[in-house]
Amino acid sequence: MKQTFGMSMSGDLKAASKGISRPQFIMLFSNKEQFESHVIQLEQIFPGVPSIGCIGMSYDTRMVEKGVGLIAFSDGVSVAANVLEEVSTMPVKYIQRLEQDVRNVNGTKENTICIDLCSGNDACVLTTLYSVLKHRNISLVGGTGDDGKVSANGRIYYNAVAYAIVKNLNGKVKAYKENIYHPMENYRFIASRTDKAKYMIGALNGQPAKQVYQDILHVTEQQITTQTFKNPFGKLNGDDTCIISIKEVTGNALTCFRQVNDSDVLLLLELGDYKETVRETIRQIQRDFSRISAVFSVNCLFRYLLFNQNHYMQEYLNEMGKLGNHAGLVGYGEHYNNCFVNQSMTCVVFE
Amino acid sequence: MSFLHKPKQEVIKAPETQKNLYPVLHVMSSLKDYHTDLVEKEVSSLIEIDKIGSSFGEVLTETDEFHEQLLDFGSNFSSIEDVSAEFVTVKNTITDSVSQAQNDVQELKDSSARVKTYFEEMEHTFTGLQEAIEKIKQCTDKIVSITNQTNILALNASIEAARAGAQGRGFAVVAEQVRKLGDEIKTLTIDVNNGVHDVEQGANHLYGNITTSQKALSESLEKVDKTYQTFDEITHSAEGAGAVHDEISNVIGNSQDSLQTLCGFFEQIKGRYQDVMDHITNAERLGTTKSAMFEDIDNMMSQIPLIINENNPGK
Repeated sequence: MKQTFGMSMSGDLKAASKGISRPQFIMLFSNKEQFESHVIQLEQIFPGVPSIGCIGMSYDTRMVEKGVGLIAFSDGVSVAANVLEEVSTMPVKYIQRLEQDVRNVNGTKENTICIDLCSGNDACVLTTLYSVLKHRNISLVGGTGDDGKVSANGRIYYNAVAYAIVKNLNGKVKAYKENIYHPMENYRFIASRTDKAKYMIGALNGQPAKQVYQDILHVTEQQITTQTFKNPFGKLNGDDTCIISIKEVTGNALTCFRQVNDSDVLLLLELGDYKETVRETIRQIQRDFSRISAVFSVNCLFRYLLFNQNHYMQEYLNEMGKLGNHAGLVGYGEHYNNCFVNQSMTCVVFE
Repeated sequence: MSFLHKPKQEVIKAPETQKNLYPVLHVMSSLKDYHTDLVEKEVSSLIEIDKIGSSFGEVLTETDEFHEQLLDFGSNFSSIEDVSAEFVTVKNTITDSVSQAQNDVQELKDSSARVKTYFEEMEHTFTGLQEAIEKIKQCTDKIVSITNQTNILALNASIEAARAGAQGRGFAVVAEQVRKLGDEIKTLTIDVNNGVHDVEQGANHLYGNITTSQKALSESLEKVDKTYQTFDEITHSAEGAGAVHDEISNVIGNSQDSLQTLCGFFEQIKGRYQDVMDHITNAERLGTTKSAMFEDIDNMMSQIPLIINENNPGK
């Protein structure tokens, strides 16, 4: 298969689509002002081509912050793109669409990936999506877009998740998740008094969450929201750690960018040697794949801000670019199988 | 399980004939309660497992510390052994020094014995000298006696020469010459006697010195023998210290064996503790996966009432 990245810093979709020919699947990453028009325009340029889209920044070895970016797959993929609606309440209502699409694509875990772009209620969406995907062990990579809307096949949907079941006809696929944080000392907590609807943690090991975080890191209440760049929480799920960013302080509780549940086991994390982590991810991918057709990734907005702050973003894109054809989205949350995570990078590699 | 004894939910009765989805909603509501209970219990379980893990972690730490102390104890044994070995080194140094000193003493003894032999030879030579002096004295006495007789004979010859008158005058001159020679010999003999006397006196003085030296040498030899014996006693005592070290080494060896056994036991215990820790870690790991499953269950269950309500409006 082949991946093409088209972009226009000024938001000119036609210009962005110039290098794309005979696409079999397109992802649109637009801006708030032009999203609707871009969706319509894209359908006009490439009628009937499966597509999904959302509002967000995109990149290959260049960043597209305000314009428009297109990622097109061609030459050897079979794709079904669709949408589950009412995700804030009952995405399962539309589950037969996904079941049907999975059946139609008829992929396996070795050659098929589900890419999703979500407008919210991510954890519930992922549970719902994965309830179908898990029967075929199909991995999922995706992220959250801005402004509560997504697009699928030329239509805009609010409160929805747009997904694409992508089967690589000429090789394998594999999903990865990268974590640039590691456990800080031995801080381990059991969350309680949570409000999963408000993504709130009331207590950690029975103590007020805000106080616990402040006492360990010696930060003021105002500093908590920026301290999360260095010290987010990690939710343990077996051997995996899912990063949770802190959004704000609410009374004595901490409100996060992800749902936290009673009985969740959380770790306090700290930023590690992210450059080395990136290099190790690249080495791992190179060990797994001798030939790489494309890499599609979703990078968290917080990572983008952190890397920019440390003047590393361009170097990062160049490093990832060495893998081959690398392009992706800056998301508000990252999806990896049934895990909704923050401050992470998820990617899918096509052979 | 506690949730089995939970008071039943209040059920709003509806006609059984009515085909609605209310019973499903009721089941959902109950399941939701069970889910909530289950999560609460899970929180408690996780806290308990965490406490067990912490306590066991402390047990492991304390075991490690105790093990460290045992090893330190073993190090102490080694230190004692080292000190004791130092003692042996000191003993060996003493033995070597004593041996060296004994060699020196032996050499002193040997050279003294040789000096003694020389003294004895000197004494023997001296006796020969005394005898020679005596012989010289006897000779000189004889010479004096002969000289005296010669002088008498010269005197008689002078008298006879005087009687002979002029014919005897030349003979008288010869006789006078002989007498003078005799006197000179006598004088010389006296000088020789005086010299011999001086030699005799010096020899006697020397003999006295030799005798005194011989006595002093004998006393020194006795002292050397005594010193040699003392050195022997020191060496013997030092050997005794070596035996004490051997005993200490044996005791330390036995203690170290026992300590080794104890450490081995601790290693085994530690292995078992580690197994338990691994199980606890596993239980915690499983607990965290359950937490993700609870979230999935909750995410799925939370959609059901909404769907039912949508499909069954007003019921």
